[in-house]
Amino acid sequence: MLNETLKLSWHIVRRNWWVYRKDFLANISPTVTDPAFMICSLGLGLGSYVSEMHDRTYLQFLAPGLAVGTAMFTAFFETSYGFYIRMTYESVFKAMLATPIGVREVILGEFIWVALKSALMVFGVSVVFLLFGQFQNPLNLLLTPVVGILVGVPIGAVGLIATCYVRNINQFQTVYSFIISPLYFFSGIFFPLTQMPEVVQLFAKVLPLYHGVVLCQSLYWNENIAAVWLVHVPVLLAYSAALLLWAYYKVLSKLQA
Amino acid sequence: MQGSRRAHAPPLRSFRQIVEQLSYSEAVLDIELGLCLIYGMHSSPVVSIEQIRKSFGLFEAVRGVSCRIEAGECFGLLGPNGAGKSTLINMIYGASRRTSGKLEVFGMDPNVSSRAIKARLGVVTQENALDEGLTVRENMELYAAFVGVPARERKQRVRDLLGFMNLAHKENEPIQTLSGGMQRRLVFVRALLGKPELVILDEPTTGLDPAVRHLLWGKVNQLKAEGKTILLTTHYMHEAEVLCDRLVIMNKGEVIASGTPKDLREAHASGYVAVFETGEDFAALRTGAGSRSYQVLEDSSGLYVRAPRLEDLLDLQKEHGRQALQLRPSNLEDVFLKLTGPELNVDA
Ligand SMILES: Nc1ncnc2c1ncn2[C@@H]1O[C@H](COP(=O)(O)OP(=O)(O)OP(=O)(O)O)[C@@H](O)[C@H]1O
Ligand SMILES: [Mg+2]
Repeated sequence: MLNETLKLSWHIVRRNWWVYRKDFLANISPTVTDPAFMICSLGLGLGSYVSEMHDRTYLQFLAPGLAVGTAMFTAFFETSYGFYIRMTYESVFKAMLATPIGVREVILGEFIWVALKSALMVFGVSVVFLLFGQFQNPLNLLLTPVVGILVGVPIGAVGLIATCYVRNINQFQTVYSFIISPLYFFSGIFFPLTQMPEVVQLFAKVLPLYHGVVLCQSLYWNENIAAVWLVHVPVLLAYSAALLLWAYYKVLSKLQA
Repeated sequence: MQGSRRAHAPPLRSFRQIVEQLSYSEAVLDIELGLCLIYGMHSSPVVSIEQIRKSFGLFEAVRGVSCRIEAGECFGLLGPNGAGKSTLINMIYGASRRTSGKLEVFGMDPNVSSRAIKARLGVVTQENALDEGLTVRENMELYAAFVGVPARERKQRVRDLLGFMNLAHKENEPIQTLSGGMQRRLVFVRALLGKPELVILDEPTTGLDPAVRHLLWGKVNQLKAEGKTILLTTHYMHEAEVLCDRLVIMNKGEVIASGTPKDLREAHASGYVAVFETGEDFAALRTGAGSRSYQVLEDSSGLYVRAPRLEDLLDLQKEHGRQALQLRPSNLEDVFLKLTGPELNVDA
């Protein structure tokens, strides 16, 4: 039963991979170009105005957060615009649901796909950063995909929930402006949260992205990995579980009218 | 399975009793089973629907429909736009949950066992919903995987069915390059990948040219000959007449008539029909036909007069000095128009 569900979900992952693969170069190039541009403009440009932070250069501070940010954008765009287009304009699921595939398999498949894609993104960006000497311990690179998954799943769920509420594709812009953007700017990617008033700190710490940023920083900086992961991984798992469940029931009522 | 088959077989049971009285052996049981299989009609139905309802919010799209689809038959579901045909079909394969009523497909409840049910049926959906990101072959191999064709057999299964639908030459093309008729045929291929026992065709030929339509009718007949059960919706009455063994006509979520095409013609529109050209003054003709209590129906395309015999219509022509555009035996379209009314099609 569960085995069958996993098998069917996996076919959906394969489907998305086949489509992704067709424009592989176009799809994969931001993984390399994004960090390269970030290093140039933010690290070297802006960084020269910023004094050393906690014994590290601004680029060193910035790199792990930027890597996690790419996972968030990947996950959000995949399950918002991407899923919406597949559901509405391409009606991909209409025919799928006439096969042994059910809504459960569709959702599981989409999440596996989002998790893999986010993992790939964080890993790819980190490889580039590694080449620019941003890893204290290169072996830590191997754990970066886990951060991608832990961030990709809850953010992917946010996108999926949004997909169920929007009345047309333009409304994703609102979700982006009021949820995704603030997450990006207030999760300790660009500056240490300790700089901010306590209210803002508290706000940031409640949001999921912050925890992913902290995880990734521990990997890049090779600092307190075990202790940091012990605290922040459970938070992200809890977020994943809760948002996934919410997304599941929303999509269920949407696809199974 | 066998138990329920016997439960529905009273005539054969009495046959068995007679044979048993003649003190024949257990072998008779096999004969009985064999007869059941041959005649089919005493086996349990493939789809059994009882008083099924479906509401979307306050709007009730299906309002207490009952019918049975027997193994091996082609069952038609007719009705104007918005009658609730697709909604009913969606409930049959579990894509939509019924609000109330009883529904069994292969003896299972779609709300509980939709996966097991869907493994045994194939659907030609009303919308093609082909995956435009993929080529013809990728589309079909993906769906072959969905319906559980083992990996090493997929390629061959897809090849065979593309051949069956005369699409072999399009194997590596992107979907967008296929014409409407080719896409529709591809949807047939997709529905047949899992070797389904029940094939559901939701308006399979809408928007297709007559040649493709005839080709698809041939394919449907081939499927019937293979013993598959078929559920067909269509707006082409001729198509229903050609393909369906039995059918129901739905309107506004209810079944308003059911039977074989012949039954329906005889019950609701027997005889012959004359169609007189539009744009002329029908008054005298209408009165003349009316006074003989022939059925008269007028719309923008002309005046339809239905009489019991062909001679009646010939007399009518002679009497009014008019030549009908068409003189023909009544058909399902006459039944459909009479029962659902031409005006209903306008606002649906
Ligand atoms: N998901 C839905 N939400 C709300 N109303 C719906 C939904 N699906 C169908 N309906 C309504 O239910 C009614 C029946 O629709 P359905 O698609 O079953 O008709 P149909 O007989 O298949 O018509 P057609 O011949 O046009 O395909 C229509 O009035 C339609 O607007
Ligand atoms: Mg329909």
